[in-house]
Amino acid sequence: MKSFYLSLLGLCVLALPAQARPISYPSGWTAMVMNDGDVNSIHIHYSPTAYTSVGVRSEYRRNNEYQLNSVQMNNLLKRWNSKNSQANFYLKSGVGIAYSDAGDFDGETEAAGFTGIALDWEDRRYFTSYENRYIEAGDIDNGYMQSARVGIAPYIGDYGDLHTWLMLQVDHVPKSDEPVTVTPLVRLFKDVHLLEAGVSNQGDVLFNYILRF
Amino acid sequence: MKHLFLTFAVLLAFTLPAHAQTYVDVNGLVCDFCAQSLKKVFSKEEAVEDIDVNLDTKVVTINFKDGLSLDDEMITKLVTDSGYNVEAIRHEE
Repeated sequence: MKSFYLSLLGLCVLALPAQARPISYPSGWTAMVMNDGDVNSIHIHYSPTAYTSVGVRSEYRRNNEYQLNSVQMNNLLKRWNSKNSQANFYLKSGVGIAYSDAGDFDGETEAAGFTGIALDWEDRRYFTSYENRYIEAGDIDNGYMQSARVGIAPYIGDYGDLHTWLMLQVDHVPKSDEPVTVTPLVRLFKDVHLLEAGVSNQGDVLFNYILRF
Repeated sequence: MKHLFLTFAVLLAFTLPAHAQTYVDVNGLVCDFCAQSLKKVFSKEEAVEDIDVNLDTKVVTINFKDGLSLDDEMITKLVTDSGYNVEAIRHEE
């Protein structure tokens, strides 16, 4: 029974850096630029409904030295709305092409795919999230990652104010030389702009910017 | 005088909006993005002048254009399409 649950957990894993709301309001566009110690990425997506988004994503993974360009679809599988809080369950998947010219790969191109889940719960004071991702890119890369966040708002602003969140992110990348990374960060959110900045325990800068339009 | 009063009352009945304001209790309003979502969705409706989203009370106030309104079914659909739930709807006549 224990091995069954461990296997199930293994199937659930593969992680990305945690992101704010992978789906926008109906007919909304979102542009996301994300940077941390391992990945630089840009992701632009369109949300035809409040439950689905589809977009293009380009990322460079420095540890494995490859570029991944993909089409990604995010689905809000379930949302729980209560009077003072909200929880979400997403499925995030993509297919694309991985390219690397590092070391043994010498210009190799591989078809790639990834999938993973994301969960979050928040009210106006507290935030928590978890997400994972499994990626398969042939010989170039395969494996899973997972990430979790907790956050607190030091003050609760009114609509239109500058909102601030203090967050702690923990990333687990089993294949990395340093499998566990801890990053304290600050999130600033005003109108359609969201910005996150922090420095990990390994001295890597995290900087994310999200624009909704 | 009586005829004048009746005439005035009839004219007033035709010029008053069906619902000047409607108040909607919504679940799931936890941040500015929630308010932005509702504003974007409701602003596309011809009957809506503007809306106000109060994140403290979780009440969405819909201000209608003169003579126009939305029925409860449509209001509920718009809120649900935005990703939230309606708890109650109240009208101000």
